[in-house]
Amino acid sequence: MLRESMQTQGRQVDLRGVTQGFDPGVEIPHAAELVEFAEAVVLRDAARTDAARKKLLSALGEAGFVDAAAVAAAFHGFVRIADAIGIPYTTAARGSDAPEVREQAGVNQFYRVRYVHGE
Amino acid sequence: MNNLSIRSDLVGAHDRAWAAIAAPGTWLTGERRVAVAAEVRRARTCAQCARIKAALSPNIAGEHETTGKLGAAEVELIHRVVADPGRLSEKWSHDVLARGLSEGEYVEIVGLAAMVMMMDTFTRAIGAAEPPLPTPVAGEPTRYRPSGARKKAAWLPLVEPEDATAADGYLYPSPKAGYIYRGLSLVPQSLRDYWALANCHYMPGEHVYRFDTSIRAITRPQVEIIAARVSAMHLCAY
Repeated sequence: MLRESMQTQGRQVDLRGVTQGFDPGVEIPHAAELVEFAEAVVLRDAARTDAARKKLLSALGEAGFVDAAAVAAAFHGFVRIADAIGIPYTTAARGSDAPEVREQAGVNQFYRVRYVHGE
Repeated sequence: MNNLSIRSDLVGAHDRAWAAIAAPGTWLTGERRVAVAAEVRRARTCAQCARIKAALSPNIAGEHETTGKLGAAEVELIHRVVADPGRLSEKWSHDVLARGLSEGEYVEIVGLAAMVMMMDTFTRAIGAAEPPLPTPVAGEPTRYRPSGARKKAAWLPLVEPEDATAADGYLYPSPKAGYIYRGLSLVPQSLRDYWALANCHYMPGEHVYRFDTSIRAITRPQVEIIAARVSAMHLCAY
């Protein structure tokens, strides 16, 4: 989805950033603040979340910040349904997440792909 | 929620979701559903869950720290789904079912856990206080199982769009709905409750593949960089 949304704007994104951290030059406004906030929320690090919230609020304004928080929260639900029901990850993004895309993003190193696929 | 201005559709979605959690479900009573929500919150500070998360293999012995309101199978399901969802397996899901949960109960509990995680994560992210759990509503579960449910693509049975019947009620925004939409389809009411909430957090299905537009106050790449990083941190391959 990230790749497609960037391609629509005529831009590219290095998908290694998904697992390894994005390059500071990634062409998404406030990418660093968005990623820092997302990571702090996932880690349930209260102090880090407080600091990241202030920066993101300053960068995006209230409406943008609320939507960023809503998306971060949404994916705390999606991942649990996908992984607890065992839906086939090869169908993600209507199957557009080809093996080479998963490899580039580092997803092939995930437990589900390395140890569970085909069990 | 706090002094931030929150979209009214999002506030309404949370209100309706908590009300739905408190009401009798398809396989669980309202009391048991609220107990699931309480267990989701308990799992976040469970020492056994922390040990599992830190271990090279998730298969380590030990007891979860629990509210004591649910059975062992329910506790195992909730705690692992909350704390370490990226390292679940089909064998593990079969083991949970073999300990005394029906497939419908399993799916309903997963849907509840996902909803509670979504709402509690949002309130924490915006710096608001976690709301108290709702008061359970009395009544009997419907015990409805879709006739078209089949175990094929996933670990649990799904209702593929072509197998849905009128008795199931509304399920999919499109016959091409992705597998993430189908995940809870063994329990149609859970699917509807979940997506009523998730659509307000992310976006409704008709917008998902329209990459050139954003219905939110951030751009689509901004939405997706958050989504990608959160998913990766959960080791979610989907």
